[in-house]
Amino acid sequence: MAKNTKTIWKMYSAWNYEKEIEDLNKLSEQGWQLVKGGLLHSKFKKESGVRFCYQLEYRDVEDMGRYIETFREQGWEYVNSTFNHWHYFRKAWDPALPEEAYEIFTDRESLREMSKGWIRVALIAIVLLAGFAVSRGIRMIDKPQLPTLVQLLALLLEIGLLLRGVLIMRNPDASRNRRHDSAVLTAILVVALFGAVAALPLTLLRPSFSTEQRASAVDEPIVDNRWVDFTVKYPDNYYLDLEMQAEKPMTFIIYNEAGETVYTRTESSFREEDIKLKLPVGTYSFSMSCETGFEIRCNLN
Amino acid sequence: MKRSEPLSESYYYILLCLAKGATHGYGIMQMTQKLSDGDVTIGSGTMYGATSNMMKKGWIREILSDEPGQERRRLYQLTDAGREALRAEITRLRRMLANAEEV
Repeated sequence: MAKNTKTIWKMYSAWNYEKEIEDLNKLSEQGWQLVKGGLLHSKFKKESGVRFCYQLEYRDVEDMGRYIETFREQGWEYVNSTFNHWHYFRKAWDPALPEEAYEIFTDRESLREMSKGWIRVALIAIVLLAGFAVSRGIRMIDKPQLPTLVQLLALLLEIGLLLRGVLIMRNPDASRNRRHDSAVLTAILVVALFGAVAALPLTLLRPSFSTEQRASAVDEPIVDNRWVDFTVKYPDNYYLDLEMQAEKPMTFIIYNEAGETVYTRTESSFREEDIKLKLPVGTYSFSMSCETGFEIRCNLN
Repeated sequence: MKRSEPLSESYYYILLCLAKGATHGYGIMQMTQKLSDGDVTIGSGTMYGATSNMMKKGWIREILSDEPGQERRRLYQLTDAGREALRAEITRLRRMLANAEEV
């Protein structure tokens, strides 16, 4: 038996919603009827012999019951709504009906109102994203690291795309004519949408740990005791917090896999945070040498 | 007195239809088409937006039908403020028309 449902992953920008309507109508003609529309993907059911015309609008609806009834009165069947306030409706296609029967906005004012509603939300999002971008920017100056940079770039991309959207949506007539955003732009949009989490895999790949060792006294000197190994999977700035206490100076060393010293410190009392280490890919180990009782604590992130 | 903004065609026809008595969205739509000889249609999106805004302005209110067979159906009813807004618009339109005839 042939599959009679399918999911299409496709994203449309708000100013391109008429293209989505066009696509839904085309699919309906081919026998694929929308079951549930969504931001990233929509579900369809195979149902031949019927054909629908779709409509889609953005609105922060206050009274869903009255909203659906207003549409039903004119023959629109409610399909579903997305979490971000887009609502899908359909009406059986009848070639005898005039084109206006399939319009839901019949004056410029109401079309402009829909754009204004979207713009209001987009501007709030831009302000929030800008706040987040500023905080990432400050962190980049303070502690430059790759995941932070990725987040910052994605946030700037999101802000740029939303600003572009606002400019397009401010002119409803232009949005009607601008039917085709390129596939490249759609791809960028998807990447940007997930921008805030794009840094997550990079974060997960980082060595990030804390370790400590202590002894009140030692029988014989500890020499080059390598007690922790870690792997750096991508070159970046890594930050070390180091705290050492001992009666006689003790030595802390980070070796790379070639056995070269990457960082070393010999002190009897030492405490410093955020020591910047520029580490290439490779395996590293922490080592310490000490003659007396000691305490050592390290964090790496 | 503050000069009121001209009404959009949809707002005007909705108020005009309701001046004859409370009715539902579909009734407004049909009456509008009839009055305008099919020239003006009010789509669902426009209708919902216009009725929402006019309820916020206090020009119309929602009531439930008590006609047999139509119970609990939503109807819109013109308020005194709505009647006043419509009257102001008609006065404005009359003046505009009179001005046109003078020229």
